[in-house]
Amino acid sequence: MEEDMREMLPEELQAVCSNLSKACSKQMREEEAALFGKLSAYYGEQTKEQEGSTFEALSSLIEQDLSEGYPKASKAVSEELDRGALRALVWGEKATKFLKSLLSRYEKQGSALLENTSVYVCDICGYVYVGDKLPDVCPVCKVPSFKILPVRKEVI
Amino acid sequence: MHAVRNIRLCTKDCICLFVCPTGATDTETGQIDASKCLDGCRLCVDACPSHAIFLLPKNYAQKPEKSRVVVGELRAIARSKAKQEKLALEIASSTSDSVVKQIATTIARSNRILQEDLYRESGFMLPQDSVTKTFLKEQLEKNKDKDFPREAVERLLELL
Repeated sequence: MEEDMREMLPEELQAVCSNLSKACSKQMREEEAALFGKLSAYYGEQTKEQEGSTFEALSSLIEQDLSEGYPKASKAVSEELDRGALRALVWGEKATKFLKSLLSRYEKQGSALLENTSVYVCDICGYVYVGDKLPDVCPVCKVPSFKILPVRKEVI
Repeated sequence: MHAVRNIRLCTKDCICLFVCPTGATDTETGQIDASKCLDGCRLCVDACPSHAIFLLPKNYAQKPEKSRVVVGELRAIARSKAKQEKLALEIASSTSDSVVKQIATTIARSNRILQEDLYRESGFMLPQDSVTKTFLKEQLEKNKDKDFPREAVERLLELL
């Protein structure tokens, strides 16, 4: 475990801590949640600028997750008989396919994709929905739709 | 263990007010007063017709240890998602196109949720678990810079 930790980047530590913050909120431990939030924000400030941030670069990482990352991880985790970990991979792979679809639709339609419509992210599994009529439950994790939250358009 | 109300599920049938022997369920915030709630009583939990009340434990069992293979695989994917979140945030902050910004923000948010789920399943499920405490102690030792929120981490180790 120690070795695994030493290798973690600030952006990874940021998500470890925001996850723990959410876990504390679920236990109604608001002080602890705020402290983990503070730690997460610290790591967020430690991340280094990266060059070449484009949708193409994103698409290629998504493609790599779908063609190599998830199949390899799912096989290994199945052999370990860890059903919780496998569940995270099943949901994650599905949500990743929706990310891929979002980018390919944007590539084809451009700004028209979101012209008169909204976009949402499931707060539980990361599923992405483009449209105006949310399904009653998330198609990936089956959480009720009030946990699928809109991403508002900002005026720039 | 004291009772907690999920206000979103509560259909205001008020049975919890009728059964509670101490009045803990009757408050101006809609939350149950933990200082009045009787440890493990659960009368309101069983009586609630909308299943909106549950018991929140004080102590949690240590989670079974995750195998190294599982931890390695989940963290490898989480790292890819962390990169994607970062790329997306950089796209969002550098664009002047509101649709590009909205899409990039969507991708960043989704990737953060994906990472959190992967870390949860790779051993960081329970804040009270030894995995979390070891992690916090390591971070205290490693981070010597002045911006590191040392007091926050020390306070967490005290509370958890």
